[in-house]
Amino acid sequence: MEPVVTGLSLLLDPLNIGLILGGVLIGVLVGALPGLSSPMAIALLIPFTIQLEPIPAISMMAALYCAGTFGGSITAILINAPGAPPAAATALDGYPMAKKGEAGRALGLATISSVTGGIFSLVIFIFAAPMLATLALKFRPPEYFALSVFALSMLASISGKSSLRNLISGAFGVLIGTIGVHLTTGVERFTFDIPELTEGIHFVPVLIGLFAMGELLSQSQTLDVAYERIRATAMKLPSRDDIRRVKWTILRSSGLGTFIGILPAEGSTVAAIMGYNEAKRWSKNKDQFGQGCPEGIAGPEAANNAATGGAMVPTLALGIPGSGSTALILAALIMHGLRPGPYLVNETPEFIYAIFGAMLVANVGFLAIGLIGAKFFSLVTLVPPRLLWPAVFTFSMIGSYSYGASMFDVWVMIISGIVGFFMLRHGFGPAPLVMGLILGKLVEETFSQSMIIYDNNFLALFESPIVVGFFLLTAASLLSPLYPLVRDRVSSAMAGKIRVPGE
Amino acid sequence: MSNGARPPGREQGGAGGRSAIARLLHPVDSVIAIGIIAFCGWLLYETGQFDEVSFLFSQNIPPELFPRILIVVIILFCLALPFEHILLTRKGKDIDKGRRDKVSGMTWLTMLVLVATVSASPLLGTYLTMVAVCIVLPLLWHERRLHYILAFAAVFPAAVTVLFNLVLGVFFEPGMIGIAFH
Repeated sequence: MEPVVTGLSLLLDPLNIGLILGGVLIGVLVGALPGLSSPMAIALLIPFTIQLEPIPAISMMAALYCAGTFGGSITAILINAPGAPPAAATALDGYPMAKKGEAGRALGLATISSVTGGIFSLVIFIFAAPMLATLALKFRPPEYFALSVFALSMLASISGKSSLRNLISGAFGVLIGTIGVHLTTGVERFTFDIPELTEGIHFVPVLIGLFAMGELLSQSQTLDVAYERIRATAMKLPSRDDIRRVKWTILRSSGLGTFIGILPAEGSTVAAIMGYNEAKRWSKNKDQFGQGCPEGIAGPEAANNAATGGAMVPTLALGIPGSGSTALILAALIMHGLRPGPYLVNETPEFIYAIFGAMLVANVGFLAIGLIGAKFFSLVTLVPPRLLWPAVFTFSMIGSYSYGASMFDVWVMIISGIVGFFMLRHGFGPAPLVMGLILGKLVEETFSQSMIIYDNNFLALFESPIVVGFFLLTAASLLSPLYPLVRDRVSSAMAGKIRVPGE
Repeated sequence: MSNGARPPGREQGGAGGRSAIARLLHPVDSVIAIGIIAFCGWLLYETGQFDEVSFLFSQNIPPELFPRILIVVIILFCLALPFEHILLTRKGKDIDKGRRDKVSGMTWLTMLVLVATVSASPLLGTYLTMVAVCIVLPLLWHERRLHYILAFAAVFPAAVTVLFNLVLGVFFEPGMIGIAFH
């Protein structure tokens, strides 16, 4: 009980509450602005929170993460432009409902579903994280190596255009992590006689470049896009009939979203799409989907916000990010000198309770913001993009520079941005690269330790049943993109077998 | 295979004169795969240039081992890249959707401006660089409401300086011009 009290009391500091509410406000704003995303905002925030204590800094980012996921639904409903990718599924029914003159009802359904999903996942988080951490205490370097390889293989099933490209991006991220001095031998690797590279490439400029600059360059092609705006009315809380209609959808999507969030590398976008599909599959009114169906709003919204709490479980308990945004939170934890994983959870449980409290406050905060300020937040899309993006560039430049007070980092940010733009164009997502970059050190460290333990005999790794289990999951994950192909072949073969001769 | 499965180039040239394997390859992805494999080849060569350490010192894990494994994995993935479009098409995904149009001239110009701005920042210093960004980028992107731009260039850098330099204590480079002015 003591850690709970300590953790929650840490949050009662007025500065912490202010930072969490600030995170919620920034999150909703960023989520509502098409093009800006919560990973981008977290990447920009990291250098400015370095001076803060770890708990307020991480609480602020966690609050931003929750609120950013919700914020995207406001513009998805009002202008059919999801402010963030997880809100894309919300637009499918949210916008048609708003077009029918029920924008307030759509916003109300989205808010209540988001808050319920978020709180549901936090309850799971608070029980699951310590349990998982206790289990993970039994892990030795070989098990950790197998787990991190499994996490990287999950990039094959992460959302995006192509599984193969996600895996290539992730592997490049791990490779970038090898730049600098090799810790065991002190040998310089890929430094090309550039002194700044001996310390390796810092996370922050790469993250800012990939998420902010890459997006800036993409947006420079679409500056003249105009949105059809629906007049925002005040948000209306769902009626008793609406609640009765969507309650099971919310509950089902909350469970689904939490589970998907817990899976390494999966995130809110996958959860939202699955939440929408499941809502449709279970609905008695399937024909109403796409025309403003309440379940079509509640399903994805509950799922995408539930995924935020779920994604924090592996991030804090295992040090394996549950999504792109939590990969950035993990990077922030490392920069604050903390090593996320079972020891952090078991030795400083108050930290987990503080993050839980921060996310709870964030959920209540965006409920209030949604009720009071949805109309205002829909207006942020009126900010001219021609002024918004120069402001983002300015923050990116200062953020990259301030981290190490070095112009080299600003160049890293610019180069990462240009590379990120071309990567995105050809279907290579920035999130897998970030995951690889952050997991890279853990993968190499545990690989080296395992090889030392087993005297360079790779096959000896298979002596551990946990390792075998993770490697089997890795194989399943890598082969998962081939599943539709096999299914089609099997069904066409079956169809061939039952075809009537002569037909 | 449906029409959507055809890689770019097939429509123009027709499939008649191309071998079966050429029809399976996606032209753009093939070029990307060759580019990445060539880059990996160079990196693989670089791993051979790392300083040598004794096996005893490196505990049988030489510093080049892990990067080499990774590079080989990337090369193996890249070998499948030119054929991936077949699978994606079956899933109903269009890999060429975002890249069918050429990169716009505006995007190239934006990149050039960003690089030029960062190059000029040791001369201008942080504050003047911010002002330059706030004026040049909107003008480049055809924002013609000058009063908007001027107000933005006056207020935004000042607000950022107050918040980050004065409140949060982030060091702002004065730049050569700033030093000369002092």
